Amino acid sequence: MLHPMHILPHPMRRLTFIRTFKLTLALIGTLLWVHPVRGQAPIRNAEVKSLKQLTLDELMDIEVTSVSKRPEKLFEAASAIEVITHDDIRRSGASSIPEALRLAPNLAVAQKGSHSWGISARGFNTDLANKLLVLMDGRAVYTPLYSGVFWERQDYLLADLDRIEVVSGPGGTLWGANAVNGVINIISRSARDTQGLYAEAGGGSELNGFGGARYGGKLAPDVYFRVYGKYADRDGGTLTNGTAAHDAWNFGQGGFRLDAFTASQDVLTLQGDIYDSDLEVPTGGVSHQSGHNLLGRWSRELTNGSFALKVYYDRTHLDAATAAFIANGLLLAPAGRLTDDLDTYDIDFQHTVRAGERHQLIWGLGYRFTHDEVGNSPAVGFLPPVLKQRLYSGFLQDEVKLADDVIFTAGAKIEHNDYTGVEWEPGIRLRWNIDERQMMWSAISRAVRMPSRIDRDITQGTPPYFVLLAGGKDFRSETVTAYELGYRTQLDSRVTVSLSAFYNDYAYIRSTSINPVTIFPLFFTNNVEGETYGLEMSFIYQAASWWRLQGGYNRLEEDLRVRPGGSDFNNALNETADPRNQVSLRSVMDLPHNWELDVAWRWVDELTINNAGVPALVPAYSELDVRLGWNPTPTLELSVIGRNLLHAHHVEYGIPTPIREQIDRSVYGKVTWRF
Amino acid sequence: MAILGRGAFARWGRILAAGLWWLLLPAAVAQPIAREYQVKAVFLFNFTQFVEWPAAAFPAPNAPLIIGIMGDDPIGPFLEEAIRDEKAGDHPLELRRFQRGEPVDCHVFYLNRSETNRLGPMLDGLGGKPVLTVSDADFAARRGAMIRFLNENNRIRLRINLEAARRSNLTISSKLLRSAEIVKDTR
Repeated sequence: MLHPMHILPHPMRRLTFIRTFKLTLALIGTLLWVHPVRGQAPIRNAEVKSLKQLTLDELMDIEVTSVSKRPEKLFEAASAIEVITHDDIRRSGASSIPEALRLAPNLAVAQKGSHSWGISARGFNTDLANKLLVLMDGRAVYTPLYSGVFWERQDYLLADLDRIEVVSGPGGTLWGANAVNGVINIISRSARDTQGLYAEAGGGSELNGFGGARYGGKLAPDVYFRVYGKYADRDGGTLTNGTAAHDAWNFGQGGFRLDAFTASQDVLTLQGDIYDSDLEVPTGGVSHQSGHNLLGRWSRELTNGSFALKVYYDRTHLDAATAAFIANGLLLAPAGRLTDDLDTYDIDFQHTVRAGERHQLIWGLGYRFTHDEVGNSPAVGFLPPVLKQRLYSGFLQDEVKLADDVIFTAGAKIEHNDYTGVEWEPGIRLRWNIDERQMMWSAISRAVRMPSRIDRDITQGTPPYFVLLAGGKDFRSETVTAYELGYRTQLDSRVTVSLSAFYNDYAYIRSTSINPVTIFPLFFTNNVEGETYGLEMSFIYQAASWWRLQGGYNRLEEDLRVRPGGSDFNNALNETADPRNQVSLRSVMDLPHNWELDVAWRWVDELTINNAGVPALVPAYSELDVRLGWNPTPTLELSVIGRNLLHAHHVEYGIPTPIREQIDRSVYGKVTWRF
Repeated sequence: MAILGRGAFARWGRILAAGLWWLLLPAAVAQPIAREYQVKAVFLFNFTQFVEWPAAAFPAPNAPLIIGIMGDDPIGPFLEEAIRDEKAGDHPLELRRFQRGEPVDCHVFYLNRSETNRLGPMLDGLGGKPVLTVSDADFAARRGAMIRFLNENNRIRLRINLEAARRSNLTISSKLLRSAEIVKDTR
């Protein structure tokens, strides 16, 4: 939802950030602590012994859990990547994608209301968080309305997700538009891996009731399909004054996926989803969201590389209840409805080719057309109401093997958008495989956030009503130059540690200026600049064959200011609302008799949030999620999941008013069957 | 209910406690879910029992039969466990970890799917040598690897390229062939 109330004016007050750069110290300390252990004995494994007693056919009947793509993937990628596996999601008991994203230690997830989340990496996690590129099976789901993501409408049958890759740091060169602070790549399983019948159902508090089912089959040898559907009914939160927030909601989605493998080494995929949702809005009324999408992908392995062609169509519909616009008790615009209908057509092509012994080239071309039609409400609108936009892009990247263990990557993406014309996003990366268990990487990259409709076209108060705030006709792209350094080590087969440090230099960040003659309307400009820097740490420790511990720590310093000669009504406070420290710890236990116990604890530091140009605080909090699961038979799983157990209600976001929303404790049970 | 009352929480607490108590009860008999690498390691061990190498592949009648993997392959520890104190005929089984780029000198070579881009050069380098090539990379068998692990619906299936094995003078037992799908080269 749009919450333009936080863009209100206020007397200038500059915040001076005290900075003590303890990162280097922390880094050295950590390295000392995790010094490599050598010569570790092979893991004895009784499981292997018992598997050896089986015949070949019996062996083929054994159900296997997929290998975590973590170790291999991590050691290959020269970036701050965290992978949430299928099993991680199942064991967390997550019931939605935002809940699953809490498993990525390099993300900040702030739940603002029962159907509202802010999710970001390396800061800038406000109501209008806009610096991530989020893809579902290659389909970009951030909205050109504000470059952010309507998380409440991103869903899937979680049991059919393969993994979620979360890259913090710019990914502009390979991924392109909007990958300023990170990329979230949500990947569903191939239909080949989701054969048979699966069903789940459950309910409890907050998550009142839910159910989902999938059936997967084979149409021909090497041609697989699945169809699925799911529905959930969710309760609303509680306001700080103790009354109900009235933001209950429901969500239903269905879809299919078809995967065909051909003898000529092609993989053809066709998939689509359709969803519908009704959401109560705390300020009154009910919003409605719906949409559907269809995506086709053709990829082929070549003897010296591969190529992939992807085409998709995506339609989203929003019909939002907007509150009356009241300032100082004066009704400036009555309540109404804002509608938005967005059609996206996208085609892109990617080709990877090995050139000689040392080079691997990747290049690609893309084209996206969007047709956006807004039905303006009295309180907020977009002008022009109808906008067609085209985005052209091309990229080239060369991965050069400088030595056996040193790989250098250089590349650039060039994009052309209708607002600002040509933008370019170059990057260089260096990867050094120190030995089989250690890898170091470093990168310098530039990325841009192109203007969204909110930056250029918003009107807070649609004429003829009074216009308080308008888009900036000269609003340009925000830019970042990021410097990153990372280290990853597999101390032995039980411990993996990942560290990354970053320094981001931002320019032309969004600000709000005053009309020099009439004062109102205020309008968006690019007068904020500054630096952020920080550290991301994560570890996985396989303490025993039945017990895994994992966790992470993030440190973030932000030093944003109004650029010399410029001005900002929000005193450079409006684009950030980020905890300086964040700690997460998770324990995953396989207990006897097919029981599973999973505990996840997190602590999130207080965060400074813009309250009309004055810094306000959201207090630090810690919370605990617990899941207890039992598999009485291989096909049946029973679990009880408790979320946010430490407090009846807690606040994760919002300015301190009696109507700031709290997130409620939730406990629910779940049954899953596989046939 | 927006607000979960104290009573409701206590109720859930009791249910949770009841759940914990169940832990102490005798287990229902259930088939454990194995991890992929364990199962693949045991398959690799089985291959040494169901494949026949030409005598010339060994320097001596009791020389070890070597299973090769890429150095840091996570299957290593499980494979070590699977072949511990085992023999194929008179050949004791031995695991060898090869560095990237190092010539591969062994009897069975397993290439993890994460190394997919090495598959082509690897197979070219081994062309005709009596090495049983095994991989879980996509299309491995059709690209000339002798055995591919195919993960279908969370179960391991085998695809065997019989011609590729014949070209290298390896004889695959019918017991193994019976449980596998036979495919041909496509390149």
